[in-house]
Amino acid sequence: MAVTRISRAFKDISLSFEPHPVTKDLPILKNSNAIIRSVRNLVETIPTERYFNSLLGSDVRSSLFEFVDFGTASEIEEQIKTTIENFEPRVSGLQVEVDPRPDDNAFEVTIFFDIVGQDFPTQEFTFLLEATR
Amino acid sequence: MPFTKFTNLDFDQIRTSIKDYLRANSNFTDFDFEGSNFSVLIDTLAYNTYITAFNSNMIVNESFLDSATLRENVVSLARNIGYVPRSRSSAKASVSFTAQTTSTTPTLTLEAGLVCVGSTNETNYIFSIPENITTTVNSGTATFSDIDIYQGTFVRNSFVVDGSLDQRFVLNNSFIDTSTITVYVKGTSDSGLGREYQLVDNILNLNSSSEIYLIQEVQDEKYELLFGDGYFGKKLENGAIITVTYIITDGIEGNGAANFAFSGRFLDSLNNVVVPTNTVSVTTVNSASNGGNIESVDSIKYFAPRLYSSQYRAVTARDYEAIIQMIYPNTESVSVVGGEELDPPQFGNVLISIKPKNGDFVSDFDKENIASRLKNYSLSGINQQIIDLKVLYVEIDSAIYYNTAQVSNINDLKTTITDTLNTFATSNINKFGGRFKYSKVCQTIDNVNTAITSNITRVRIRRNLKALINQSAQYEICFGNQFHYNSVGFNIKSTGFTLAGRTGTFYFTDVPATDGTGILSIVKESTIGGNYIVEIKSAGTIDYVKGEIIINTVNITSTVKENNIIEIQAYPESNDVIGLKDLYLSFSVADSKINMVKDTITSGEQISGVGYKTTSSYLNGELKRV
Repeated sequence: MAVTRISRAFKDISLSFEPHPVTKDLPILKNSNAIIRSVRNLVETIPTERYFNSLLGSDVRSSLFEFVDFGTASEIEEQIKTTIENFEPRVSGLQVEVDPRPDDNAFEVTIFFDIVGQDFPTQEFTFLLEATR
Repeated sequence: MPFTKFTNLDFDQIRTSIKDYLRANSNFTDFDFEGSNFSVLIDTLAYNTYITAFNSNMIVNESFLDSATLRENVVSLARNIGYVPRSRSSAKASVSFTAQTTSTTPTLTLEAGLVCVGSTNETNYIFSIPENITTTVNSGTATFSDIDIYQGTFVRNSFVVDGSLDQRFVLNNSFIDTSTITVYVKGTSDSGLGREYQLVDNILNLNSSSEIYLIQEVQDEKYELLFGDGYFGKKLENGAIITVTYIITDGIEGNGAANFAFSGRFLDSLNNVVVPTNTVSVTTVNSASNGGNIESVDSIKYFAPRLYSSQYRAVTARDYEAIIQMIYPNTESVSVVGGEELDPPQFGNVLISIKPKNGDFVSDFDKENIASRLKNYSLSGINQQIIDLKVLYVEIDSAIYYNTAQVSNINDLKTTITDTLNTFATSNINKFGGRFKYSKVCQTIDNVNTAITSNITRVRIRRNLKALINQSAQYEICFGNQFHYNSVGFNIKSTGFTLAGRTGTFYFTDVPATDGTGILSIVKESTIGGNYIVEIKSAGTIDYVKGEIIINTVNITSTVKENNIIEIQAYPESNDVIGLKDLYLSFSVADSKINMVKDTITSGEQISGVGYKTTSSYLNGELKRV
């Protein structure tokens, strides 16, 4: 008999810690939101930042001080892809697009992915990567 | 892993236990994914737990002498039981020189501080004296003979007593030789440097006017001076000036310096500097020796409880071991044998042999010094004798088979084997009460390199007989191990010597009887066909079972070996050799034979074994020791 896989819902805590206006519960991130937050955490963590797990994270920060052009963009794209593939097992069909925005000294990152085992449409989210100092 | 296991020191396991807890007790699910917010929280929590657990573990460990690892804590715990760890000790040399002057001064003083520069191991070391040395000037010449110079830099510190409760007198230098510390206290009515205070190690026999100080080691291997409180020892006055002089030394590294160049300064009787008219050339009486490092943490852990349990009373052998270490820091190993254990018994005597760290013998001066200081600790009616070290050397004759395919340079392999055996000897064998463990040595040789396929190792034991030249004397040499003997003889071998009234070089050999004893003969080599001629048939007796050789009266005029030594060797009945009673067991790698033999079978040269070179596991029939 074939094994039936039952996918669980993903539930994570939100680091904003703003209580729900009515129930006063801590905010919860669910499913796609939880995964989006996770992907952002991974991209923004610098390797060696996490104790006893020095490989976790991506090195995009060091690329943010390079020229804002397509060369750097493709490098960042590669770093983000590697990081997500290594540390986020919940996604598949990953696609990363990085557009340089030289006028803002930033890169616009758009990530497309499917959630493994859940019947959601392809997720897409965008964020800006810019040097903060 | 249960969550109740609180003693975990592993970050990953702490993290796993938190996750296990959450898995059973939480609505959240994402803590398993590294990127999740929850993972960040768990990491923080686990890290916090880890640090707390580590700190608790460390604190508990560092609270007990057995488990403490940081020197500062070990020293502090030892201090609680009255133990002051040994400081570095400076290498001491003895020199003589003369200085000529045209000045009319009646005396010439060699000023404390730098005296000479000596070199060893291609490095120059400074040698100083801790106090001024004054001598008279005769016809413009001042002779300084046999003055002791200490390797290191002379330092002077001063403190002004301010009367505050928290004032500490910490000598702000590491690497001090505490035996060179001199303390002067100048009160309001004193002149010059003031009165010299004496170092004591306990508060016995002190009163309120005793001018004493104590020392204790504090942070970073520095030392603090402690003075009396007005009950035990004289209390310091407000405004008193304490002057402390001492030598900062390089310890063991200064040993061996034998040639010195003078660099000191002379003062006349009015304390003016005098420049000698001659070039001062330094004659070395004794080269630098007895330099030692600061007591190691392991040694403190070992000796502190023993000195405490001895309570400054030398009663049992262990007490002597601890007290001798304290009064003679250059001790490497001590053997104490009660006279009642000797054969024949010597009741009331305690025989002490000391193996110094450098060399084999304690000088007569040091022996007297140790004996007189031991009197302070020993029981009345007990007579301590410090006797010379009796070294029982163990040598091996080893054929080591190697696979030629895995060796590029056979000499390198041989050197590595020698180095390994030397390390093994130092850490496992060379001590009183030591044991040469045959199987461990064979295993050590096999493990040196994968190229070594096997070894056939024969064991020999040796004692050095110091001959009394041109004197008729009897000798008794005890090996403390049963001899193996072959009924045809040649079990006992020696190096050559000459005898009064006879020509030729002679050797000892043996003629065994059937009852475990034998006769010692003196023979010489014949010029014809490798035979030998018996010169004295019955020159002594051998007890193979006790491992004892007695040589009847004989007048030896010279020896082939230097320093009037005749090396006498035997084969032990058991390959494991012990250092009995006062015998100091020493694995002599330098005198051992290491023969490298090709293992033609393993190398693939002669798979059938034809041409394989075999080695006998038994002793040979040579006449003399080679």
